[in-house]
Amino acid sequence: MASRPTVTIIGKDGAPSGATHTIPAVFASPIRPDIVKQVHTGMAKNKRQPYAVSEKAGHQTSAESWGTGRAVARIPRVSGSGTHRAGQAAFGNMCRSGRMFAPTKIWRKWHVKVNQGQKRYATCSALAASAAAPLLLARGHQVMTIPEVPLVIDSALVEGSSVARTAAALALLKAVGAGAELEKVKGSKKLRAGKGKLRGRRHRQRRGPLVVYNPEVDGKELVKGFRNIPGVETSPVSALNLLQLAPGGHLGRFVIWTSAAFKALDEIYGTTTTASTHKKDFLLPSNVVSQADLTRLINSSEIQSSLNAPKGDAVTRRSAVQKKNPLRNKQVLLRLNPYAKVFAQEAQKKQEA
Amino acid sequence: MAAATLPNISSDLIWEVVRSNNSYLHKTGAASNGGVQFSRDPLNLTNVHSRKYAGFVNDKAVGIAPGEKGGVVVTSKKTAAAHQPSKSAAQTSIGGGKSTRKTYKAVAAQVAKTGYRADLRAAAIERASAIRRSQLPVKADPEPKLRGKKAKAAAAGES
Repeated sequence: MASRPTVTIIGKDGAPSGATHTIPAVFASPIRPDIVKQVHTGMAKNKRQPYAVSEKAGHQTSAESWGTGRAVARIPRVSGSGTHRAGQAAFGNMCRSGRMFAPTKIWRKWHVKVNQGQKRYATCSALAASAAAPLLLARGHQVMTIPEVPLVIDSALVEGSSVARTAAALALLKAVGAGAELEKVKGSKKLRAGKGKLRGRRHRQRRGPLVVYNPEVDGKELVKGFRNIPGVETSPVSALNLLQLAPGGHLGRFVIWTSAAFKALDEIYGTTTTASTHKKDFLLPSNVVSQADLTRLINSSEIQSSLNAPKGDAVTRRSAVQKKNPLRNKQVLLRLNPYAKVFAQEAQKKQEA
Repeated sequence: MAAATLPNISSDLIWEVVRSNNSYLHKTGAASNGGVQFSRDPLNLTNVHSRKYAGFVNDKAVGIAPGEKGGVVVTSKKTAAAHQPSKSAAQTSIGGGKSTRKTYKAVAAQVAKTGYRADLRAAAIERASAIRRSQLPVKADPEPKLRGKKAKAAAAGES
């Protein structure tokens, strides 16, 4: 693989700290929205809890069909008399207080197994996408104010209990230019439509930045600092989750790395040739097309030299496109009969004489 | 140093990822089956969702917006700072005091003559022109002429 670019590590007050780090190989993974979408769909289903209507619902009556000959439909009817319920149809999904059609069962297939290889591929792909500023913008992140993508902040700024308080964490995020993003999240909080409001999902709001840290170096106190800022999520670098890296299956989450977490990526994911130390038998996926820039591919000397020369002249003469009438068009007449010129001159002379 | 990009990302690839759905895209009523697709991208000169005008996708793009005190502001992307969003925009403001003809000339010089995005010359001038037109002072409506009975009554009242 060609040499990889470096990323500036942001120090205090959003100014570069001077230190840089080579971008980890995982950021050169293929960007595959199809795989990410599919894996996300599967993984998102794995947190569901079973629900179903009561087994007995709609069947708590001793209704029997009246059979034919009573000039009513053959649907089961409630027996007895003395209440309005007597004689009413029961059981059927079309009946009032009947059971629903195909009552939901708790043994529905709630969870989806996603192959580990695919999950890892999708995670790598989502990480690579998080390093592309246009994809962040396309997801709706307000990143025009941040100094660099991927955004790496010095671990010295978050170590120990330096951002254990929300105020300190907020100041850090604002210093690195994430203020606009936080404002966007704050303004996006809306009441959820529908019954979800009653089921512990009262509000919906946008996702903000994902802060990825290395618990071995940065400690875990920063989680407390960030957890009450709307939209901000934290994740240890060793347990990155596709549901956070590509919410909704859309690539390009705004990720803020601590420098320790950023440095750990090469060890955790390995490269395309050296195996990861944390994941058994895992090599980073390789790109099928190593150069994604089509213009550069087309204009490369390798392609251009093997192309055929363009056929024909620069300007193509279009003959016989339209038939010209030689009796009216003098030039066409002359082409057909060069002697017509003499005739014309003689006719002219005769007229003058 | 971070200017060098990774070979796995290009504007061609990004366009394929975002063309069906992105935060700037606005699909009109029947967009799913043939309606117009607009873009809210500030670097889009025509506000139409298309590869050519998708400013946030392309390495080189131009945006034209009204200036705060009249005139227009031309924003272009720096290719060297593609990975540094806060540094990636180059802004030039052309004041409202300049004649429109000179404004268009300045816009064209910046967008097309330098070979930056020669294909966007017409679109850039059209947008600059539309902005300048919107900044013209609004003429008050002429007073409606009285007709018929009202006109007679008014004439009678005067004399």
